[in-house]
Amino acid sequence: MSTIALRRRDQIGALSSRSILSLVRQPSLVVPSLIFPLFFVALGTSAFARAINIPGFPEVDSFLDFALAGSVVQGVLFGSVTSATALATDIETGFFDRLLVAPSSRTAILVGRLAGAMVYGLAQTLFFTLVLFPFGLSIQSGVIGLIAMMIGGLFTALAVGALMSAMAIKTGSSEAVQGSFPLIFILLFFSSAFFPRQTMDGVYRRIADINPLSYLVEGFRSLTIDQLTLTAVLQTILIPAAISIIGIGISLRTLRNRLAAS
Amino acid sequence: MSASLGIATRSLRNIRRLPSAFIPALLMPVFQVVSFSGTYAGVTQMPGFPTDRSVNWYLPMAVTMGASFAGLGTGFSMIRDLQTGFSDRLRMAPTSRRQLLLGPYIAAWVRACIAVVLVTLVGFALGARPVGNGLGTFSLFIAGIGMATIGTGWGLGLAYRFRDMRAAAIMQLTLFLGLFLTDAQTPIHLMDGWLEFVARWNPLTRILHVARIGFVDGIGSADLLIGIIVMTLAAAGAWGFALTGLGRLDD
Repeated sequence: MSTIALRRRDQIGALSSRSILSLVRQPSLVVPSLIFPLFFVALGTSAFARAINIPGFPEVDSFLDFALAGSVVQGVLFGSVTSATALATDIETGFFDRLLVAPSSRTAILVGRLAGAMVYGLAQTLFFTLVLFPFGLSIQSGVIGLIAMMIGGLFTALAVGALMSAMAIKTGSSEAVQGSFPLIFILLFFSSAFFPRQTMDGVYRRIADINPLSYLVEGFRSLTIDQLTLTAVLQTILIPAAISIIGIGISLRTLRNRLAAS
Repeated sequence: MSASLGIATRSLRNIRRLPSAFIPALLMPVFQVVSFSGTYAGVTQMPGFPTDRSVNWYLPMAVTMGASFAGLGTGFSMIRDLQTGFSDRLRMAPTSRRQLLLGPYIAAWVRACIAVVLVTLVGFALGARPVGNGLGTFSLFIAGIGMATIGTGWGLGLAYRFRDMRAAAIMQLTLFLGLFLTDAQTPIHLMDGWLEFVARWNPLTRILHVARIGFVDGIGSADLLIGIIVMTLAAAGAWGFALTGLGRLDD
């Protein structure tokens, strides 16, 4: 039993190393998910600098503090799509089938592939924070809050990566996975990622109110602009963790269906 | 002229034959006007914001963006034609270079009209209302066609120079950045920091003023005149960029 467990651990380790290395070796895949969120932060910080005084806007020192959460979630979402696209590419090239015929655990194959996204999500959170510090960013919840955000980034990457992996396994097409990118962008825009829900009205407010991304972003935001609270930590970590469990479940089920159909 | 019309007709037929190449460029500005108007609805509460309707501010931006990307679409088609060799066959035909260039321009203007009309209708459905005598809608249309002309020249010029899909990435990125580095999101006088400087000197800001004149307060006839001059010069420059690029194919 322990041998099997060890093997599974080794499999996850080997596949994780491969997925992480593939991101390191292909910077062109990851650079856009670092540059674009930073560009939008730079743009928003200058364009909406005075918007922080409008009614309903949370109390913040600068728009930069407000914008960090949105940029982290935006970057992590984009990075996760890249990872799921890599899985679809593995399916297209036949590498995935070779893994399936090998005596390897199905969970290990999936989690190993998603490990790259998880590590990248964590690194992105740290990267955005470090890059924006010299421009006046302040994390009110301190180092513990930052660590919680990094864990939140990791789980967000896992959650979105798992859901997108289900699509990759179902379609086996990297083009289809890439094609879902606008859906994520729409979901992000109709949340409180870029502007507070309290300043929206009508149908936009209602959509943002039911959009889970709003609550995910607001967890990160609370850790940035408020003092450390257990509620904010749990919101930042537990929401993506819960989505991760659902996402992995859907992915494994999709994988089983794919195997049954083949 | 018949050669230009032939090329334009072929390009427009591709909308039906290859909708996946045109529809995203059409949906993007629609999404933009819908999402920006709602997400940033609160910006109208900033003291000094020149309209109380966020859609009035964001509709012109979405229209110019959609029209310019409709223009870039001809650049994408040109890359395909260059790679398949169709463009070489056209260049061997007894037709002037200007005729060959005018064809994609005509197609771009038609594509831009579709984008401008659709986005404007969506904007009006969301509550956009012109201020003044309603001539602003015409000004919005002119700005859209102007941006489509600039986008077409820019896209074709890059396509002729790179001759592969690298040009597509460059043309999209540059135009996207160029349009966002204006007062696309908030008026210049409400900005703070680096963007205020960049937007003030970005010529595309002046073109956005032409688009916005009928929808927000504070843009006068002098702004309109400056905007039209900038737009004309930019369109002429883009035409020259495309024409010299076409000439380089002979090298």
